[in-house]
Amino acid sequence: MLSRVANLIYWMARQLERAENTARIVDVNAQLVLDLQSRQAADDPRSWEPLVFVSGSEQQFHEFYGDTASERAVVEYMLFDRRNSSSIISCVSQARENARCIRDLLASEVWETLNTFFLKLNEDDFTVYAQTGSAEYLNRVKARIQLFYGVAASMLPRGDAWWFFELGRHLERADNVSRILDVKYYMLLPDVREVGAALDMVQWASVLRSCSGFEAFRRSRRGQLNLERVVDYLLRDELFPRSILYSITEAGHTLTRIAAAAPHLHANPASDLAAALRQELEQTDTAAVIGGGLHQYLDDIQQKIADIHAAVQTTFIDYPIASAEILG
Amino acid sequence: MSDLFANYEHGRFYDEMFASPGVPRRHYERLFERFNQLDGMTELLARQHTADQTFVNRGVTFTVYSDNRGTEKIFPFDLLPRIVPAHEWAHLEKGLTQRMAALNHFLADIYGEQRILKEGIVPREMVETSKHFRREMVGFAMPRGLFVHINGTDLIRDEAGAYRVLEDNLRTPSGVSYVLEDRQVMKRVFPNLIRDYRVRPVETYPSDLLALLLHLAPEHVPEPTVVLLTPGVFNSAYFEHSFLARQMGIEIVEGGDLVVENDKVYMRRTGGLAPVHVIYRRIDDDFLDPTVFREDSLLGVPGLVNAYRKGNVALCNPIGTGVADDKAMYYYVPRMIKFYLGEDAILPNVETFLSSDPKDLSHILANLPKLVVKSVNEAGGYGMLVGPHSTQAQIEEFRAKIIANPRNFVAQPTIGLSRCPAVCGDAIEGRHIDLRPYILNGETIKIMPGGLTRVALRKGSLVVNSSQGGGSKDTWVLSSDDLTVPPLPFHQSQEKIIV
Repeated sequence: MLSRVANLIYWMARQLERAENTARIVDVNAQLVLDLQSRQAADDPRSWEPLVFVSGSEQQFHEFYGDTASERAVVEYMLFDRRNSSSIISCVSQARENARCIRDLLASEVWETLNTFFLKLNEDDFTVYAQTGSAEYLNRVKARIQLFYGVAASMLPRGDAWWFFELGRHLERADNVSRILDVKYYMLLPDVREVGAALDMVQWASVLRSCSGFEAFRRSRRGQLNLERVVDYLLRDELFPRSILYSITEAGHTLTRIAAAAPHLHANPASDLAAALRQELEQTDTAAVIGGGLHQYLDDIQQKIADIHAAVQTTFIDYPIASAEILG
Repeated sequence: MSDLFANYEHGRFYDEMFASPGVPRRHYERLFERFNQLDGMTELLARQHTADQTFVNRGVTFTVYSDNRGTEKIFPFDLLPRIVPAHEWAHLEKGLTQRMAALNHFLADIYGEQRILKEGIVPREMVETSKHFRREMVGFAMPRGLFVHINGTDLIRDEAGAYRVLEDNLRTPSGVSYVLEDRQVMKRVFPNLIRDYRVRPVETYPSDLLALLLHLAPEHVPEPTVVLLTPGVFNSAYFEHSFLARQMGIEIVEGGDLVVENDKVYMRRTGGLAPVHVIYRRIDDDFLDPTVFREDSLLGVPGLVNAYRKGNVALCNPIGTGVADDKAMYYYVPRMIKFYLGEDAILPNVETFLSSDPKDLSHILANLPKLVVKSVNEAGGYGMLVGPHSTQAQIEEFRAKIIANPRNFVAQPTIGLSRCPAVCGDAIEGRHIDLRPYILNGETIKIMPGGLTRVALRKGSLVVNSSQGGGSKDTWVLSSDDLTVPPLPFHQSQEKIIV
């Protein structure tokens, strides 16, 4: 597959995964705000501010919307603002542009699913969001992206196009989940003393819900919700498809499939880094990590995901010509 | 039975369908009857709507870039086909084959011995001042001796119905994807009519083109790799690029996908560099290689021309063909045919005046309101003046341009192009048309039966280009002039719209 085309597919998957995670985060926060109402007013800026941290672009947000992170400002910024390259509309629009460039590779249903979603989203704004209701609106967004995955999964041949799609999706998911954990931890930190309190449970449940992991956690029989168990579950569960370990393991599998096509790539830096991160996660002692500072640990994980991304680029996409393998 | 054509205005132009008001030409009789079996305009418009929707669903669209919301539009398609009887096509095929042969001789000659210049048939300065003459290619031995591979020759019919050549397109003629898609849609909308007429198929074009491209590959390569080079998704013809690549089963690449190492061309694949042997390029010479042509080109591939000169990669069309579709050079094509083939041109040109010729220039300046003036290097209907449809100010503007740079213009009398009925709003009206057949020059010269019939959908307009409000029609070349074979009995149920 052409490197440029592989990169377009890889980014298309990353953009859509990012859009989906943004929808999840906003959704869960809106619900959490309702749960917290006894203690914090729904329009308390502290309820929405943490979302801006997740996006990693606080500076830009405050530049556009001033000091106060109201619900409206945050929702507009994260859903509909084209100036924010990580907003849902920006992500979906970029994914659609990429898909348009490789339309000949995608079955027409795959393209149409994304295109109609984009055209619909393009008409929406905060008023539509507010009138529909946050839960209903964000559910629709998630459902449209899930529909796209479903159509793509049932139509795309399991060749390079599919593997680069899966690679982008899993790397983005691992990164997003680490950010969700990071921000929730930061947000809940003052309450750690209240371990076991009802409020604490509500909040940890919300962290799981933002990763659609609440029911799965329950079924995994890990016992009662608490900080350590939730962090461990999202970090290291081997079976839950949104855990960081699971996503990195999957990314490693897709790299193996991609490299299988070329003998000289059987060992490559991207696969090596993915394997190393997987091993590190497997060996992590969650209690010790929390004791030593979860934030630093998650920062480190994010850096390692970024390293895998960079290695993917230099191995398959943007490799130096002089040392490149010439295919027969 | 309704008469859809009852109010059709015949006009003073050659009408493709009607010999005289209400009397269809023989090869249109069957269509005339069939259309009159429809339930009037209502059914015709319903079928037109079905056809339009099919184009949208098949993605035969172009994007309107001024609109960043990403609206996609279809190239307007008209449901009434243009029908070309077998004997007319035989005549066109002969004429186009002759013209292609002469143009190939001409290009081989001016990049070789330059006999035609030495003998004064074509003025040397005319060639050397042409924007598309590539000095770098003089003396270069083209693969298989083929100096041009694809020509889209635009034909028109004058008031008497005689076919004439309006221009050649020897660089990267576009539109062939619409021919193939138009036929797909017509097969759905009027399947029986196509069968009854025994319309010659156009569907082999992609495999004929692929055979041509493979024929050009360096001889020592057993299994050559062919790619299509596009300027990218923002190009208005991107649909066609992607369509043809898909039909031929070849990779569609952008300049950045190709690299040149040791004068060999490779494409960047995820597993490494894969050799490329033939490039069907859909970008102009100027943009091919920033180290040789335009330095600011981001579309091209540095080092490509060297690889080409070394014979490691073939380009289709070759570099330098544009000199022969310069609109001033067009004037000399009948003389080229005489010079190289010793024959008279089977298909005449349109009478043309060169403003670089002092005698012609004074004629042009004296008759501007009656003439069509064209810039010699422009295409797509840009940079032209249609005298009878222009204001005094526009005419004066062109007068000044012509005087300032006479080499840059030619003029032709305004020709009343033939008209063909077309669905316009909720009526059928006559609209002007032209025809662009596609001529492939490989092991032999091969011409797809038919071509792109473009129709000027704006009332009274003579400009058929899609950028100027043009649309297209399916072109039906008949296998035989014997139209006596009775049509299949018509049943409403048989000819359903199968979409």
